[in-house]
Amino acid sequence: MINVSHLTKKYNRFKANDNLTFTVSDGETAVLAGPNGAGKSTAIKCISGLLRFDGEIEICGYKNKSAQAKRILGYVPEIPAPYELLTVWEHMEFIARAYRLENWENRAGELMRRFELMDKRDKLGKELSKGMQQKISICCALLIEPKVVLFDEPLVGLDPHAIKELKLMFGEMKEKGTTIIISTHMLESVEDIWDRVFIMMNGRIEAERSRKQVEETGENLNELFFRITEGRTGEE
Amino acid sequence: MTAISYLIVMNVKNAILDTLRHPLKLILYLLIIIGMVYGAVMGFAAGDTDAGEFIRGLTAESHGRLLSGVYLAVLFFISIPVMLKGLSSGTSFFSLSDVHNLFVAPVSERLILMYGIGRQLATMLILLITFAAYGGMLINTFNLEPWETLLLIVGIGLMLILVQLTTLIIFTLSCCHPIRATIIKYIIFATAFGSVGIVVGNLFINGITLENTFQSITLPVLEWIPIAGWMHGFIFGIMEQDTMRMLIFGVLIIVMIFSSIVALANFNSDFYEDVLSGAEGYHEFKENIRSGKMSERMLMGDRKIKIGKTGINRGFGARAIFYKHLKEGSRRSKLMFFNINTVVLILITLVIGLGMRIAMPAVDPTIIYLAVSIICAYVQFFFSAASDWVKELTKPYIYLIPDSAVKKLVMAAATGLIKPFTDGFIAFFILSAFIRGELCDILVSALVYGSFGSVYIAANILAQRLVGVDSTGGVFITFYMSVIVLTLLPGIILGVVVLSQFAGVFGNIATTLFDLPICLWNMLISAVIFLACRNLLDNSE
Repeated sequence: MINVSHLTKKYNRFKANDNLTFTVSDGETAVLAGPNGAGKSTAIKCISGLLRFDGEIEICGYKNKSAQAKRILGYVPEIPAPYELLTVWEHMEFIARAYRLENWENRAGELMRRFELMDKRDKLGKELSKGMQQKISICCALLIEPKVVLFDEPLVGLDPHAIKELKLMFGEMKEKGTTIIISTHMLESVEDIWDRVFIMMNGRIEAERSRKQVEETGENLNELFFRITEGRTGEE
Repeated sequence: MTAISYLIVMNVKNAILDTLRHPLKLILYLLIIIGMVYGAVMGFAAGDTDAGEFIRGLTAESHGRLLSGVYLAVLFFISIPVMLKGLSSGTSFFSLSDVHNLFVAPVSERLILMYGIGRQLATMLILLITFAAYGGMLINTFNLEPWETLLLIVGIGLMLILVQLTTLIIFTLSCCHPIRATIIKYIIFATAFGSVGIVVGNLFINGITLENTFQSITLPVLEWIPIAGWMHGFIFGIMEQDTMRMLIFGVLIIVMIFSSIVALANFNSDFYEDVLSGAEGYHEFKENIRSGKMSERMLMGDRKIKIGKTGINRGFGARAIFYKHLKEGSRRSKLMFFNINTVVLILITLVIGLGMRIAMPAVDPTIIYLAVSIICAYVQFFFSAASDWVKELTKPYIYLIPDSAVKKLVMAAATGLIKPFTDGFIAFFILSAFIRGELCDILVSALVYGSFGSVYIAANILAQRLVGVDSTGGVFITFYMSVIVLTLLPGIILGVVVLSQFAGVFGNIATTLFDLPICLWNMLISAVIFLACRNLLDNSE
């Protein structure tokens, strides 16, 4: 579970995130949607503990910067940054050691098999394409079997098989009760997996919808998205 | 206004406006200009320095030859690496923005080429102004006339343009032709090694003395080596009023410049493709420098890395970072801590140490160790920019690992802390094989070199803490340099005090007396900074 309360992130006078408050429950998949510059990535980075912020963020009841929170948090950055001199398998080993994981080999193998990385197991990070680097990033985040995972534009650069596999994994994690937050500016890419959507604009959450709400009212989410992001009107 | 004129005008205008809008940047530029003017004036006005005294003590003939030899070495040093790089990446005539915007526009390719060369000329002009800051020192040390100094500086500027042009030709000729590239590479290497061979051979035939060294580095045959040699011949032809020499090499240079431009404009009008990869590489390099990122590609190029034994195999939690660094280090160099920096350090210690021994045979070894240790400690600053710790900060993992911040900080910096000590011991023990000194001087020289490594990392950590990891290059470097100076100063003062109080009391061990207090201070202040900045890894800002 993630609890974000009054999250504000300022760069000098510019507010990248302005008083965000939201909760994503166990087993729920939330989407932070919005155009470029809406503040999605900043919010994700604040939650993952990479940025300083005002407000409070809790991961399963722990302060997000505490070691307990880090132990159960997975983060897939927008721009993959593998170690150029480590092999793919060594990335897995490094994460396992850094997080003190036990019996991780089978899981690492399974993740790599699903993302078709097994034949690249002994390739160095610098020898991989951007897409492959993105796959390593995802495998590293998921190896720790996180209770909360943050994905920043995860589908960009992935091939169709990896997209299919990642979407399957979203479903599996959901069944296990994992909390997922996905940041994207393309709602259609996540339309079949979200439970809750937050539409962001200018650092603020302009609208929040649950899947149940949308299904009951028959509201067109894309229409709402464009209405907000094109500045026609905000939340009624 | 044509597209290119517009581009130039707007670039200049916006650069000025941008500087005016950022007061810190403006102050920094003003400080740099004041520093350069001050350096130039002080260099001119300064009295006798040790180096100046040594040079003026030489005979008139040796004096001229030293200047001539050093100048030739500088020209070679500038040209060879740039031309070798041209084989793989082209040049920096154009930025990636030029490639993306100008190259696709309906503008004459020749005009674009002229624009590129013009841009390069402007860059060279800035570089020349920078060199001019050393003009005063040159005038003072070598007893030169101001016009001679200016000529030497202009020669370097011309040389840089010529090298860039040649590089573009080399790239155009070798692009997509591996055999041609190999042949050109062998020609460049043969020229470089041939020149060194001529100097060393002459030195061995006639005996290693100071006079013979000067005679070897100014052999007339060296001036016939293309570009660097020609430029040397041209400049010294003017300075020594040798009209024939000036004309021959001047004509060779002019022919070279014009034939290069004609070749580029006619033989291969489609030079865009050749420039693209160079521009992309240069763009990546600039972006990384701007954001403080140091990628392996920047350090190692596209060299094929042998993976060898796989697996990190040791360490849990924060310690995993240290063992990961060891694994990465073993891939960069099979000998782990022994890499190109170690080789450069060994060469520097040998060149300075042996140079001092040849130039001043009567000087005590402890003075040689003192000078070498101080110069090496200064040089190490340039090695420290690529340490594992700096690269680790650019990845998210160090912030995410669930372990204490101070432990992560120490483990991430550990390889960077160890390496200067191993380098120091290797280099100074090799130097001791050539220059017999007191064991304590040799040990302390190595230790003080290592301790400077700790200070550079600690100062980097403190600067990151003060201005933030994401700060822009200029701001960060200013803080970083200030922190280094402030951190080192008390140790140096302590060293001077101890040396002045105890010189001669414990025998002739000036190096130990000066370096040991500095070493102890450096270690102490580094530990304090590490502890004080333990929360740096709480977030990536």
